[in-house]
Amino acid sequence: MSNQPPSSSQELPASIPNASDQKPRQSQGENQKTVGADPAAPPALSGAELKKRAKAEKAAKRAQQKAAGPPKEVKSAVKESKQGAKETKQAPKESKQLPKEAEKSRPMPLRRRGSQTAPPPKDLKKDTKQVGLFGHLYGQPRQHTVVGAAKEVHPAVLALGLQMSSYVICGSTSRCVAMLLAFKSVIESYTTPPGNSLARHLTAHHLSPQIDYLKSCRPISISMGNAIRWLKDVIIKIDPQVTESDAKSHLLSSIDNFILQRITAADELIAASASQKIQAGDVILTYASSSIVQSTLIKAHKAGTPFRVIVVDSKPLFEGRKLARNLAAHGLQVQYSLVSAAAHAVKEATKVFLGAHAMMSNGRLYSRVGTAVVAMLAHERDIPVIVCCESVKFTERVALDSIVGNEVAPAEELLSEAEREALVGLKSKPADSENVTEAAGDAGERGKGEVLKWWREEPNLQMLNILYDVTPAEYIKMVVTEYGSLPPSSVPVVHRISTNT
Amino acid sequence: MPPTTATVTPGLASFLKSLKTDSVESSIEHFISLLKRRQIRNSRPCAIATTQLLLRVVANFKGRDVGKLLRRIREVGQRLTAAQPREMVVGNMVRRVLGLIREVAEDGGDADTNAMSDIGQSPQPQHDSLARPSLSSSISTFSPLRHGATQPMDSSLHSESLADSIDLAQRPPLLTSHTSYAAPSAPMVTSLFGLFSHPETPSAASTPTGYHSPNGKATTLTAQNLERLGDSSAKTGDLKAEVLEGIRELLDELDQSDELIAANALDHIHSNEIILTHSASTTVQKFLLAAAKKRKFTVVHAEAHPNDHDATHATILTGKKRDTSEDSDAEDRWKPLTAAGITVVLIPDSHVFAIMSRVNKVILATHTVLANGGLVAAAGARMIAKAAKVHQTPVVVVSGVYKLSPVYPFDIEELIEYGDAGNVVPYEDGDFVDKVDVDNPLYDYVPADLVDLYITNLGGHAPSYLYRIVADHYRVEDINL
Repeated sequence: MSNQPPSSSQELPASIPNASDQKPRQSQGENQKTVGADPAAPPALSGAELKKRAKAEKAAKRAQQKAAGPPKEVKSAVKESKQGAKETKQAPKESKQLPKEAEKSRPMPLRRRGSQTAPPPKDLKKDTKQVGLFGHLYGQPRQHTVVGAAKEVHPAVLALGLQMSSYVICGSTSRCVAMLLAFKSVIESYTTPPGNSLARHLTAHHLSPQIDYLKSCRPISISMGNAIRWLKDVIIKIDPQVTESDAKSHLLSSIDNFILQRITAADELIAASASQKIQAGDVILTYASSSIVQSTLIKAHKAGTPFRVIVVDSKPLFEGRKLARNLAAHGLQVQYSLVSAAAHAVKEATKVFLGAHAMMSNGRLYSRVGTAVVAMLAHERDIPVIVCCESVKFTERVALDSIVGNEVAPAEELLSEAEREALVGLKSKPADSENVTEAAGDAGERGKGEVLKWWREEPNLQMLNILYDVTPAEYIKMVVTEYGSLPPSSVPVVHRISTNT
Repeated sequence: MPPTTATVTPGLASFLKSLKTDSVESSIEHFISLLKRRQIRNSRPCAIATTQLLLRVVANFKGRDVGKLLRRIREVGQRLTAAQPREMVVGNMVRRVLGLIREVAEDGGDADTNAMSDIGQSPQPQHDSLARPSLSSSISTFSPLRHGATQPMDSSLHSESLADSIDLAQRPPLLTSHTSYAAPSAPMVTSLFGLFSHPETPSAASTPTGYHSPNGKATTLTAQNLERLGDSSAKTGDLKAEVLEGIRELLDELDQSDELIAANALDHIHSNEIILTHSASTTVQKFLLAAAKKRKFTVVHAEAHPNDHDATHATILTGKKRDTSEDSDAEDRWKPLTAAGITVVLIPDSHVFAIMSRVNKVILATHTVLANGGLVAAAGARMIAKAAKVHQTPVVVVSGVYKLSPVYPFDIEELIEYGDAGNVVPYEDGDFVDKVDVDNPLYDYVPADLVDLYITNLGGHAPSYLYRIVADHYRVEDINL
């Protein structure tokens, strides 16, 4: 967002929609319905006409959408300013034919966003598939191909983006390291164009497209955000007098240092200190998969402490299977169950070790969805909950619930192959009774795609697949960081220390 | 739930069909084997099958003696509960039928003789005001599962402590299949002894010591029973018809309980509510559907992943669980909630805590409700109830009275059944399954303090009131099957 010129928002009509917000988008559509012209058209008209028009527009909108909430969101306009700017440029040309177009599409409120021309019916359907409470979290659909990537995007970043969107690289730490390594090769192949200084050009014009592309593949993690902020800071501080090759090698070694200090060494410190907390005969419960928890457990096992591990896992990612397999391969005694059995697993546990996606400044833990359930059950039984987290994952952001800030993953991921298969038979069955009309239409073919379509087209049916939840601070007894073991209330202090040095 | 969709899948439907033609004894064996193979599972099918079977048993009962009928039912009940002790509705239905028979016998006795009133009234006042002490004390000595599953002879052992040796000989071994010899031998040889042991069994097993002196009771009861022999010989036909009528009413109750529960829906669901529910349950579906006729709300449906998710998906998409849709007719098919205009959001179990802060009400289905107000429900219910508690969200449990069990959960672990680990990690993943212990509990025990309200076919109750409904529906004498 930093690269977008905020000035352009001034000339925008007030109702440019936010891509991630449902309501303004609808308002846009209805706006067209009523006024019959592109909202971006006004710049082509004279000032007086424009004012008049805007007034009429406002009045119509207000009348129509009293229930739909405030129709314009100036703040959201800033977000979309780039595309909005494009729209304004095209607007004069389009405005002539637009009335016709709008007439055609009158029955279907049309959502127009700059160059993107998705067929409106599909968009509508998708909107009904978005869970209302989480409507603000649905952004652009995740990118699964390199098609449409900006030409500046480095091949290493292209590959990384795809690996992230398909969860091949998953987990806050590994995503952060992988990104930094990819940026190293980006920087290596970078040459400053003549007339520019590296410090100014690299961040704004070369790194930004890479970051945008990564964001389009999957929203970036807190640790990635922290690392990017640090990297930009390093770049901006480069003395313009330094030669390009020197600057680049300085950057590369800084990145290496960052990875070493903030992640590799920090991991080792945390593992060493957390493994001290494991005593003979302990039953350690952990949720999903965390690289630090894994190294902690393996370290304690290698130190000869006899203990047992329970891995609690959940669909759809089943990250815990990997952890359980790795631990078992190291000779640990591992028990595995799913989150619905968490209440049983917690009974046997003596300590709970959790990994983190981020630690919020109000002491709450932002981690894989389901973590809060496990922490709650452990807290209920007075089992200590210990979070292992590098300071690079600390953020100044705060969160009270898991709904305001989160990441929504594609809902289709929820239905595994086997589940789709199990539904195939069912789908054909209601087809021969007249009652289930939605399914009856296309009973001819069968298949898993068919079932997915069924899910997608069933009215009023939604699936929710979020990736994180927020664990209240009172469930957490201790946070183990490379700065030491602290209560969750010390998170903002550690964050200040770690960002100032 | 393997999709073995052969023409006849063994299950409730095939059992009910065969019940019409098979002999009683083979029907019992058939049901036992179905229970053991989990081909009839979940509360409702078990309750229906048990009641239908008991209807047959009573109809085919040849004797003219109440005591023997009671013993016969109890014997069948013991075999059934031993076959699958965790399906507690089986025991519940047996106890209900036993209570029914006692009631019918007492009514007849009351009308005829005053002397009979001792039998009739000795349990009766306990039910009204003094029920609490006697009920709890009799329950407390009782652990139905262990007793049913691992020591099936246990009850006969301590009930025999006072009964005479003939009773021992006459009582069939419980787990063996050749129990049928009891049936022919019973009517002729033991009618007198049967009378003898009928009132004594409860007094030995479940009446707390100190209430009556065993000596005095035994003698008076014998006298009464001898007296009743004259009465009942004239009245058995009548009695049997009444019992059969009562069992049919019980079946009606099973049939209608969902509708009766659903009738409460509008009292509990307001407009624009967000309701969270879990796993697949027809009771919950009907409850929500009844509210959906008048009000618009949102349902968040946690899918109960490793075991019930297929049934949940089927319920969401078609309104019906898969396994029941096979054997029920089109007439009791109903529309899914989505077709009634209700927004349904499917979530994995892990999302429960994240979304709970916006949920207005949690509606849980249950497997069994226990006398202390706790319940046994599909795995995951515990964490949902707890998450609701920490968010101050009310938890409502909908359950037919037939699921209400007089069992007090002293050992929670023994109530929990463990299922196929292959549901959690497929067996194809050989080296994983080899090295890692995979756990798959099917049920969760939810303690009473996590539940805010029970809605049964009798209305809404606080969890603390459930003991009273237990006392209304089960006789103290029958709690120990």
